[in-house]
Amino acid sequence: MDVRSQISMVFHLDKCIGCHTCSIACKNVWTDREGTDYMWWNNVETKPGTGYPTKWEDQEAYKGGWKSDGKELELRSTSKKKIVPNIFHNPSMPSMDDYYEPWTYDYKELFNAPEGDDQPTARPISMITGDPIEIQAGPNWDDDLGGSKVYAANDPNLSVLSDQQRQQMQAIERLVMFYLPRICNHCLNPSCVASCPSGAMYKRGEDGIVLINQDRCRAWRACVSACPYKKTYYNWSTGKSEKCILCFPRLESGQAPACFHSCVGRIRYLGNVLYDADAMRAAALRPDNELVDAQRELILDPNDPAVVEAALRSGVSENVIDSARRSPVYRFAKEWKLGLPLHVEYRTFPMLFYVPPLLPVMSVSDGALVRSDVDALFADIEKARAPIEYMGKLFGAGNSGKVRYALRKQLAVRIWRRHVTVGDVTAEAASKALLEADCTVEQADAIYRLSTLATWEDRFVIPPFQREAAMEMMVDPHEHRAGAGFGFREAPRRS
Amino acid sequence: MESPVKRTVASRVAAMLVLCAFLSVPGWSQSQPSEETTQFFRQNCASCHTIGGGPLAGPDLKGAHERREAKWLTAFIQNPKQIIDGGDPVAAALVRDARGVVMPTIPGIDASLAEKLVALIAAESALERSAFAGLQISDRALTEEDVRQGERLFLGRAAFASGAPPCISCHAVEGIAGLGGGRIGPDLTEVYARLEGRKALAAWLSAPPSPVMQPVFSRQGLDSDEVLALVAYLKDAANSGAAQAAPNTLKLVLGGVLGALALLVLFDIVWRKRYRATRRPLVHLPRRRVAAEIHS
Repeated sequence: MDVRSQISMVFHLDKCIGCHTCSIACKNVWTDREGTDYMWWNNVETKPGTGYPTKWEDQEAYKGGWKSDGKELELRSTSKKKIVPNIFHNPSMPSMDDYYEPWTYDYKELFNAPEGDDQPTARPISMITGDPIEIQAGPNWDDDLGGSKVYAANDPNLSVLSDQQRQQMQAIERLVMFYLPRICNHCLNPSCVASCPSGAMYKRGEDGIVLINQDRCRAWRACVSACPYKKTYYNWSTGKSEKCILCFPRLESGQAPACFHSCVGRIRYLGNVLYDADAMRAAALRPDNELVDAQRELILDPNDPAVVEAALRSGVSENVIDSARRSPVYRFAKEWKLGLPLHVEYRTFPMLFYVPPLLPVMSVSDGALVRSDVDALFADIEKARAPIEYMGKLFGAGNSGKVRYALRKQLAVRIWRRHVTVGDVTAEAASKALLEADCTVEQADAIYRLSTLATWEDRFVIPPFQREAAMEMMVDPHEHRAGAGFGFREAPRRS
Repeated sequence: MESPVKRTVASRVAAMLVLCAFLSVPGWSQSQPSEETTQFFRQNCASCHTIGGGPLAGPDLKGAHERREAKWLTAFIQNPKQIIDGGDPVAAALVRDARGVVMPTIPGIDASLAEKLVALIAAESALERSAFAGLQISDRALTEEDVRQGERLFLGRAAFASGAPPCISCHAVEGIAGLGGGRIGPDLTEVYARLEGRKALAAWLSAPPSPVMQPVFSRQGLDSDEVLALVAYLKDAANSGAAQAAPNTLKLVLGGVLGALALLVLFDIVWRKRYRATRRPLVHLPRRRVAAEIHS
């Protein structure tokens, strides 16, 4: 057993209001430089929808992630053989058009406009060419377009639904949508790292954050194709690829990442979990419908003495293990089985877990009215507006049972709380709901508290980073002792 | 009073003078041509000259040291073109005898090497049969089989035993292969006639002296059977009466353009499933469909 620690995340989708504050916080901190203007390390998508870049989930086109025949795990995008014929051009990359052409406005035309009868307007200017452009698309172009015939109808996840179900999702008053905020998943088995021909990408040993060494990146862009979530981006100005760094400089000083910190709905949770790196290969080879369980089994119980002993042997320190014991991610993903990985069928084991949203599946339409009485609000999730199969495709690798379990448990917690606070649900009915949802009263209270009342300290359990110990593994801390300065570092730049 | 130091210097100078005098005795150096000089002669001179084997492209050098002054010989060996251009009557006669073939200036010959070469000629002339009395190429009649083998060797279909590169990589012969062979070296269609026949051509092939071929073939020479086959083939080419091939630039350029186009079409077919775009077809195709519905 090779136990390691991984910084992991939970997004509680039921609480996301789609305000994009996270995206803006990230943009202002990290990607407001030339060449990064089109990147959104954090973005919020509307589902059903095609997302950013357009149809990123369509791996037939983009060739991201791993494929498995049950015996071997292979990258879909590249291999030692494929890299040679594609040496001059890495295929299957989203083009600028699939992201969007970033733009600003020519504000001078507002300020310097002569007096006249018409309102002056600021023309959109491309941030790539500097010329006026006609805006064709944006990173959240399909925001809130739940029933769009272009965007919502082309969501790749709808392929699991029957024609009738798809038509129902498009029908007036049955339209349904929810938000899906996305950052780099800092996967356990990252295909981007595996694809890098320069060895520039790595997963930090002490916390599993996936990073790109800007000194070693040689602009092959293999990671851009290989990442199934399209969360590595090519900086056209420096000629290096960049990605979400999970704000590691903030984490190292005990702060939550910018997008987590700024989240208005407080949907984001962060903490470390312990996992077994030795078991990963076997887990990644399991069939699609077992992958959610396979990933859960990788995550180890930090209270188990055998795990603690193995962790200490692997060099995970006592206070990191202690931090894992308090981790909200462990409770959501492993203990309560509410947190589910996004598209685990790409077999990268994403370490960002989503609590599937109850909201779009709730309430029942009755003719022209949407009923809001108790019976309708707590209707069986099988009669949900959004088909469970669709959610299953997103969060269960096609196994909608996993989503059904998580939604039922959330619903049971609501029924229980309705009984406690309002009282129009009988104790028998509430207990029955909890029992059916595999939930105890204590667990229901704990879920309620962490979902609704959680403080900063509850949501973000940041392990002590001990960079000094991590650095000693790679560099000699005495290397620059008694020297003058630390030498020169050059910003990445095309030469 | 003489100092000990001066005395030592004087004795050293005397010793060096004695040594120089000893080394400059001609008879001594003539009797012992060094291995390097022999090797140099074999690689650079033997393809055109014999010593006692009759003329090839250049005259037989047997007794040359008696026919000409040593000073003239060393000067000529070092830079033949300068002597010929200088209007020297003897040199002019030599050029006339060689039907206009001018001896190339061999790189790397300085005065001392030239002297050693003259000494070598003198030494070899004195022998009854010199090591440079001409190549031991068989005098047998050339057969059809020789011609075919020569063509195979020329084209590279049969490899040279030493691993030397085939002729076609640098040379062309009219009517050989599709594009007519290499254009780095001269066209060899009429080389048999140009070099005056079998003996000279064989000598050339045995040790090609040109600056480009010499470094390659001095290490990977041809054996006498191969030389004979090539001579047969080149003789056949010369006798076929074909003129030297003119390089067809237009054909080459057109072929290149058409070939490139064919390759591009092929690439497009092979990689027809490559990634092109996602968003544009997604957004623009439904629009076109809607427009079509309105018009119908």
